[in-house]
Amino acid sequence: MHTPRALKAAGLVLAAVVLGLLTVQGTYALWNSAVNSNAGTVQAADFRVSLTDGPTNTTTDMTVNGLPATVALSTTPIGVVIPGQSVYAGVQLGNVTNAGGDFKIRATAGTPGITDSSGSGFASVLSVKAVAADTLAQCQSAALYAGAKNMASVDIAKNMTGVLCFQVTLDASAPGRLQGKSAGISIPLTVDQL
Amino acid sequence: MNKMVKGAIATGVGVVLLVGGGGTLATWNQAQSASMGSVVSGDLNLEVNTATNSGKWTNAAGTVVDVKAYRVVPGDTLTYTQDLKMTLTGDLMAAKLSLTGAGANTGFTPASVVVSATALNDKSVTASAPSPISASTVLTPAVNGHLVTASTTFTFLASTSNRDSINQTYDFKSVGYKLEQQAPVSANAQ
Repeated sequence: MHTPRALKAAGLVLAAVVLGLLTVQGTYALWNSAVNSNAGTVQAADFRVSLTDGPTNTTTDMTVNGLPATVALSTTPIGVVIPGQSVYAGVQLGNVTNAGGDFKIRATAGTPGITDSSGSGFASVLSVKAVAADTLAQCQSAALYAGAKNMASVDIAKNMTGVLCFQVTLDASAPGRLQGKSAGISIPLTVDQL
Repeated sequence: MNKMVKGAIATGVGVVLLVGGGGTLATWNQAQSASMGSVVSGDLNLEVNTATNSGKWTNAAGTVVDVKAYRVVPGDTLTYTQDLKMTLTGDLMAAKLSLTGAGANTGFTPASVVVSATALNDKSVTASAPSPISASTVLTPAVNGHLVTASTTFTFLASTSNRDSINQTYDFKSVGYKLEQQAPVSANAQ
């Protein structure tokens, strides 16, 4: 077999490089020992708050796809509201979390926004009081709202629930021309980790 | 006697004389052992000291937690500690202890977490005041058998707002430690 001279030279260079590399590696090989920490992975908890409407027991998460959700609260069916009387509503908030440690939250009902649906001025004769309670059933008790203001908050421990009750009162001096009118009431709920 | 017999007798006498000559070669001699003994190699090893702490996460309350099931929330601080045992023998033994790998943030908002550099402390020197070991600290057989405590702290900042970093992970699986011999001054190049 006839091997070209260039091929021989290439083979010689390759052999020299391999030997050189092996030699270099050899000089750096000293004892060493390594262990893994097996520390694993730290995982963050979810932050979920459920909202349950009293009379209908309809439940929704406070945020849906990261955006604020709206829950339509049903008022206690007491018939037509006449001046000087009230209707009641409530929402139960659940601290649905998988947090490993303590995770307490505070739910706050902010200043209600009352809007006329037809510019009648009906909103001006409505007032809202908010108060914390233990159960939704308590929301119907007028005595619960003694001394209450239009804002309230409730602290909720991990995997527990809290209730915010609302009393909507039609002013006793409401004029007769407002009969049959309606208004919308919006109550912002915010939840903060404590 | 014929010539054949004479030759045989002469050969026999010669052989006998040669045998006798063996004795004449015995002269004075003496043997001595080199007393070189045995060459014994040293040892270098790093292992998790399961007898004292094989690795555990604790929360700010000091409670040991199962990190596989535990979910952190803003304000949480988790600390991972682990004891390592060093074996270093050999008259010219010198080594350095270093970290390998690092934690990987796989989803937390960077501004919401702080992860400390892993601290290595020789707690066999003084248990109440462990001696820190840095990447440049040269360890010798004087610390053979010492326990080193490695600790890393993960802080989920309370300043985290909105719903930042919910359900995210921070991976520490690749974190490790390496004890590596340093070549003696007189080291050969082979």
